[in-house]
Amino acid sequence: MRSLLVLLPSLLTTPAVFAADVDYERDIKPLLMEKCSACHGALKQKAGLRLDAATLIRKGGDSGAAVVPGASSESLLFQRVSTDDIDQRMPPEGEGEALNAAQLASVRAWIERGAPAPDDEPIPTSPREHWAYQVPVRPNVPKIDEADWTGNPIDAFIAEQHRLGRVKPVGLAGERTLVRRLYLDLIGLPPTRQQVDEFLKNKSSDAYAQLVDQLLDSPHYGERWGRHWMDVWRYSDWNGYKNQLRGSQRHIWRWRDWIVESLNDDKGYDQMIVEMLAGDEIAPDNFDVLRATGFLARNYHKSNRNIWLDATVEHTAKAFLGMTINCARCHDHKFDPIAQHEYYAMRAVFEPHNVRTERVPGQPNLMNDGVARVFDAEPEAKTFLYLRGNEKHFDKESPVAPTIPAFFDRPFGVDPISLPPIAVFPSLWPHIEREEIQAAEQRVAAAKKQLDRRQGEATESSAASVESLKLTSAETALKSLRARWAADKAKYSEQSSDDTAHLAKAAADAERLAASHAAKLEVSEKQVASDAAKASDEADASKKEAAVAKASKELQAAQKKLAAADKALGLSDAKYASVGKAYPRTSTGRRLALARWIADSENPLTARVAVNHMWLRHFGEPLVANVFDFGLRSPRPTHVELLDWLAVELIEHEWSMKHLHRLIVTSRVYQLASSADATLTAANSKADPDNQLLWRANIRRLDAEVIRDSVLHVAGSLDLTQSGPDIDYTEGETVRRRSIYFRHAYEKQMTMLVLFDAAGPNECYRRSKSIIPQQALTLANSTLSLSESRKLARALWSEVSDQSDAESRFVQLAFTQMLTRDPSEAESVTCRNFLKQQATTLSKPSALTDFGGKTTATVQASDDPAMRARENLIHVLMNHNDFVTAR
Amino acid sequence: MDQFNQTRRAFLSDMGLGFGSVALAGMLQQEVQAAATTQMQRLAPKAKSVIWLFMIGGTSHMESFDPKPALTKYAGKTIDETPHKDVLKSPYLENERVVAFDPNNGFIRTELYPLQVPYRKWGQSGLEISDWWPHLGKQADDLCLVRSMWTEDSNHGAQLQFHTGRHRVDGFFPTIGSWVNYGLGSINENLPQFVVMGQPIADCCGGQEAHRANYLGPQYDGVPLNIDPVNPLPYAKPAKGVFREEQVGEFQLLGRLNRLTAEQYPNDAAIRARIRSYELAFRMQMAVPDVVRFDDETRATQNSYGLNQDETRPFGQQMLAARRLVERGVRFVQVYHGSSGGAGRWDSHKGLKANHSKLCKQVDQPIAALLADLKQRGLLDETLVVWASEFGRTPGSQHADGRDHHPFGFTVWMAGGGIKGGIAHGRTDELGFHAVENRHYVTDVHATVLHQLGLDPRALAIPGRKRLEKEFGKPIHEVMG
Repeated sequence: MRSLLVLLPSLLTTPAVFAADVDYERDIKPLLMEKCSACHGALKQKAGLRLDAATLIRKGGDSGAAVVPGASSESLLFQRVSTDDIDQRMPPEGEGEALNAAQLASVRAWIERGAPAPDDEPIPTSPREHWAYQVPVRPNVPKIDEADWTGNPIDAFIAEQHRLGRVKPVGLAGERTLVRRLYLDLIGLPPTRQQVDEFLKNKSSDAYAQLVDQLLDSPHYGERWGRHWMDVWRYSDWNGYKNQLRGSQRHIWRWRDWIVESLNDDKGYDQMIVEMLAGDEIAPDNFDVLRATGFLARNYHKSNRNIWLDATVEHTAKAFLGMTINCARCHDHKFDPIAQHEYYAMRAVFEPHNVRTERVPGQPNLMNDGVARVFDAEPEAKTFLYLRGNEKHFDKESPVAPTIPAFFDRPFGVDPISLPPIAVFPSLWPHIEREEIQAAEQRVAAAKKQLDRRQGEATESSAASVESLKLTSAETALKSLRARWAADKAKYSEQSSDDTAHLAKAAADAERLAASHAAKLEVSEKQVASDAAKASDEADASKKEAAVAKASKELQAAQKKLAAADKALGLSDAKYASVGKAYPRTSTGRRLALARWIADSENPLTARVAVNHMWLRHFGEPLVANVFDFGLRSPRPTHVELLDWLAVELIEHEWSMKHLHRLIVTSRVYQLASSADATLTAANSKADPDNQLLWRANIRRLDAEVIRDSVLHVAGSLDLTQSGPDIDYTEGETVRRRSIYFRHAYEKQMTMLVLFDAAGPNECYRRSKSIIPQQALTLANSTLSLSESRKLARALWSEVSDQSDAESRFVQLAFTQMLTRDPSEAESVTCRNFLKQQATTLSKPSALTDFGGKTTATVQASDDPAMRARENLIHVLMNHNDFVTAR
Repeated sequence: MDQFNQTRRAFLSDMGLGFGSVALAGMLQQEVQAAATTQMQRLAPKAKSVIWLFMIGGTSHMESFDPKPALTKYAGKTIDETPHKDVLKSPYLENERVVAFDPNNGFIRTELYPLQVPYRKWGQSGLEISDWWPHLGKQADDLCLVRSMWTEDSNHGAQLQFHTGRHRVDGFFPTIGSWVNYGLGSINENLPQFVVMGQPIADCCGGQEAHRANYLGPQYDGVPLNIDPVNPLPYAKPAKGVFREEQVGEFQLLGRLNRLTAEQYPNDAAIRARIRSYELAFRMQMAVPDVVRFDDETRATQNSYGLNQDETRPFGQQMLAARRLVERGVRFVQVYHGSSGGAGRWDSHKGLKANHSKLCKQVDQPIAALLADLKQRGLLDETLVVWASEFGRTPGSQHADGRDHHPFGFTVWMAGGGIKGGIAHGRTDELGFHAVENRHYVTDVHATVLHQLGLDPRALAIPGRKRLEKEFGKPIHEVMG
C-alpha cells in the first residue's frame, strides 16, 4: 500500500490495536520486541531488565518490577514509555521512536487487565529462538468451513486469518481481469485478443489450470521471473568509463541467459544456489554451468578488493538467507546473534576466489565474447578481522577460518576439490587449439599464395626473397605452435606421459627455430626498407638523411635480434613459452560447502526467504515485510504458518519453483477481485486497511519492463527473440526486443525504465511503485509509444473499416486489445465523440501549432485526419491508467 | 496561438472540476491539498521558498567560514602536544556512528594542518570569511553562519543523513525537501513544488534518496531538472510533427477516460494519483522549458551569475534557474554541487588547497549573485537560502596535504527568509574540532527551515510514521530576525 499515494491519516493509524481487545501475544509482545528488545532482551540486558517474556517483565530489573498488574500508573514500564520527560522516556531518543497513542493505550490496557500472558510462554534463552531461525516444520492446515476455501492449503491458511481478523473476502475477479492478471504475472505480457478468446471459449472445468500450465511452460515465463530474480541477485551488466571495466564483468549476459533457462527448465532452487556460488567447483569444465557464477563475478570492483568482497558477503547473505550479516563488519551485530569475527569467517569463504573469462568457440578476442566465471585463484589467501572495519588494522597472526555463524549450530565441512586439467589449463579446450592452429595455418597459406604470385612475376626481386622468408617463418611458427601445444597437453593432461620431457625439448627447439626464422625475416624486411630509403628521390636532403638513419638503425636492431636468436639455436634446454595460462589445480571447496549449507533442507532461512520473494511478486506485498532481513528485527509475521507451509512444500517438491507458482496462482486468494462493493470495503477497511489479510487482490502498477514490452506487444511489434548479448540501453525506442535484454548497469540504464522504477543495478530486493509526472511524459511523448500507437491504429482499423459500425468496432477492439476488457457504454461514446472532434481539429492544419519536438518517431502520423484521430485514440489508451495496471 | 490558448484554458478547466462526478472531483481536490494541511499546526510563515545548496564531499569549515589560527600556530604538532588535547577525550566523540564505506578514510587525524587560505573581515558586520569566497564575502551582512554543526556519520552516508536527519544504516526516509513539498500547498500549479538540479549524490552515499519522499509518496519526490530548454526533463516534448492542439485533445480524452474508471473504483487511490500526475505533466511541459530559457535575462544579470565564464557557467545557470523557480512559486529548490559518481569532489583527502580553491571558484560568484539578485528583486525576505555540506574536515592532516572527514564540528549558513544577517551563531573549539557552543544536529537546520515556512516540525509527523527517530530538531530561534 505504500505505493499508493494518498496517505490519508485514517489509513496511517495503526489498525491492529484495540485497547478493548488487547492480547499479549498479538499486541504487546511484538511491540516490546520492536521497541525494547535490542537493549532489554536476550542479546543485551540493560539495567538488568528483560522485556522479552511476561515473567521477566514482572520480575523486572535493577529498579524492581516493570509492571504492577492492574495498576498501569504505578508500573515502571508504563511510566517510562509514556513520560514526557525526554531524559526518562523509553525508548531513549536516538534509540527508537516513542510509542504512539494507540500503542500506549494497549500497553495500559494490558497492565490494567493484570498483564495476562500465557503461563507456558517460553523464555527466549537466546536469539536463537527467533522464529526464522527454526527449521520450518509443515504446520497443520487449518480446518475451514467455507467450501470455497478448502481446495488449496494456501486458501485454508488465508481463510483462517480472515476469520481471526474479522474480514470477509471479496468475490472472484472477472474472467478477463483474471486472465490479464495471470499473463502479466507469469510471462510479463498482456494477453492478445486471441488468447483471451481462447481461454473464454474453453469450457472445461480446468480451463484455468490449463492456462496456468500453458503459461508456466512458455519460454517467456523464464524472462518474466528471470527479471525478478535478477533484481534479487543484483544482475548488472559491466560498467566502466569508456572501455575500462570498473564493475561487474563483460559478457555477464550469459548469466542472465542461465537464469532464464534455469527457470524455464524448472531447475531446483537448491541446485541454482549451488551453481551460482560454486558452479566452478561442481562442473569446472561445463560452460553452461560456469555461467551461473556470474552471481559472484558481478561483484567485481576494480578499485578495491574489500568493497568487492564486502558486497559478495553482504548480498549472498541478503539474497539467499535474508540475513544482514553486513551489519557485523565493524562490530558485533546489534540485533542478530552474529559476532564480528563471523562476518570475516563468511568472507573467508570467498577470499580465494577471483574472476576470469573463458574463451568460447569462434571468438578469440575476450573483449568481444567469453564466459565470465569465478575460480579460486589464491587457495592460500588469508582473511583477517578488520578492527572497526578498518582494513589497516588487523592482527597478522590471527587469520579467520571460513565458516558459518555459530548460532546455526551446523558443522561446516570443507573438502578441497581437485580440478580436471581443462579447468587448470583452459588452452586444452579443443576449440582453442583448433582455432589457434588454424590461424597459424592460414598465415602459412597466405604467405604461400603471396610467394606464388611473386614467383609468377617476370623479374627476380628482393621482394620475392622476403616473401620466401615469410613463408619459412610462418611454417616454422606453425610447427613451433604445434610442438608447444603437444608439450602443454602432455604437461597438463591427466595421464602423466613419459614423453613430457621429450615433448618439452621438442617444443623449445621448434620455438627457437621459429624465432630465428622470424628474426631473419625481420632483417630482410628492414634491409629492403633501408635500401628503399637510400634509393628514395626525396628532394629534401635532411629529410632523406633522417629516413635513412632511422631505417638503418632499425636494421641494426633486427640484426642484433637475429644474432641472439641464432645463438639461442645452440641451446638445448626445454624451456618454451606455454600456449596459455595455467591456474591452481585445486579449488578450496569453501564456496561449495557454503552453497550446500544454504541449499540444505535443514537451513531455516533459505526456503522461507525464497517463498517470500515469490509471494511478493505474485501479490504485490510480501508475507515478511523486510524481504532481506529475517533476523530479529523481523517479528513473527501474521502469515507465518502459511510461509512455513510453503517453505516446506518448496523443499519437499525438489525446490521446484513452478510447483509453487502453480499452487499459488491456482489458489482462490490469488483469484480474488481487487475491488468490492462499498459496504464490504468499508467494513474490511476498518479492520484491515492495508489488506494485510488479503481479503482482496492488490491493484498493482506494472513493472517498468512490462510497461515497455506491453507498448510493443499490443501493437504486434515485440521481437520475442530470446537470449544473447546485452543491447545498448540507448536503443530502447528503436530495437524492439524485450526489455530484459537491454544493458542494465550503473549509469547505463534505459531512462524510460528508470522512470518507472526499474531495479537499481546495485541493490533492489524490492521495487518501489511510484506515480510521477515524468512517467506521464514518458508514455505521452516517447517516440516508442507514438510509433506503436500509429501502427496499432492502422492494423485495428484495417480489421473493421469495411463494417457499417466501424468506429464503434474500432473502439471496442482497441479496448480489448490494450486493456483486456470491453469499453463501457460511456467510454465508447466518449471515444467516438473524440474521434469526430479530433478529426475535425486535425483537418484544419493552418489552425494547428507545431509542438517543436526534436525526436523522430519511426512511424509517421497519418495524413488522413480521421486516421490520425484513431492513432491519437490508441495513443491515449497507451496512457490510460489501466494500461499500466493489473487489477 | 489565441485559439490554442483558448483550447488550453478550456482544457484546464475540464481537467479540474468540469467533468466527472462531484464525489470524485472532491476527492481529487482534497488529496491535492494533502492530508498534511489539515493535520499541521500552521505558524505565521516568514518565508515562502527554500533554495538548498549542497556541496558534495565535505567542505572544509576551517578554510571557508570558521577561521582557526591555532591550526597554523600548532601546525605539524599532534593534538596531544597542544593545550587543546582534551578534544580527544570529549564525550562528543561518542556521537559518531561508523559505517566505513571506504575503510581508508573517516578517522581522526591528530597531526595539525595549517590553514591553507587567509581570512578577512567583510561588510559592516565584520564577519570573517576566507579568501576562497570573495564574492560571497560581499554578501556577508546577509549571511548567518552556524558554526556549531555536528552529525553522526564520519563517512559520506552523511550526505543522505543531512537530508533525512537519519543515519544511512537506518535506511531511507522522507527528505527535508519532500516534507516541505508535503507540508505546503502549491503556489504554482504548473511546476513541481520540489525541484532538484545538478548531478545527485552517488549511490554509495544515498543516491537519489537524498531528494526522495519515501513513505510520503512519490508525488512529493524532488523532480530533477536539466538546464536545457529543449530537454529540461526527459521526454519533455513529443516527437516531431505533433501539434499542441492534438495533444490537448488527447489529454482531455485521457482525463475523461481515467475519471470514468476512477468512478468505478472509488478505493483505487493510484488512479487518482495518476490523473493528477498527467495534469501536472501537461502543465509542466509548457512551463518548465521557460524556466531554463534565459533569453529575457539581461546580459548584466547573466554575467553577474558568471554565465560568461566556463568555470562558473554550470553552477551559475543553476543559480539563475533557482531564482526563476522561486520567482514562480516553487517551494523547494535543491541544488547539488560536486557529484563525482563517488564520495564527491569536495572530498579533499589530499591536495586540499588546489581542490578547494578550484571548487570555490565554481560556486562563489554564482551563489553571491543569487543572493544579490534575490535581494534586489525583494525576494530574499521570502526566500531562505541554505548552504551546507555533509560534514567538515579534520583539523589534522591526511596524506600530507589533505584533511579527512569530520562530523564533530562544521559550518552551514543561511540567508534570507527571515534569518538575521551578518551574524555567526555557535562556535567550535580553538582547533575547529568540536562544536562547543549552541551545538546543532542537522535536524535543527530542518526544523529552522520548516519553522520559517510556517510549519511546526513536531506537528509535521504523520501518525503511525516516524518523521525522525533521533529527534525532531529544534528551530534555532536565536538566528531568527
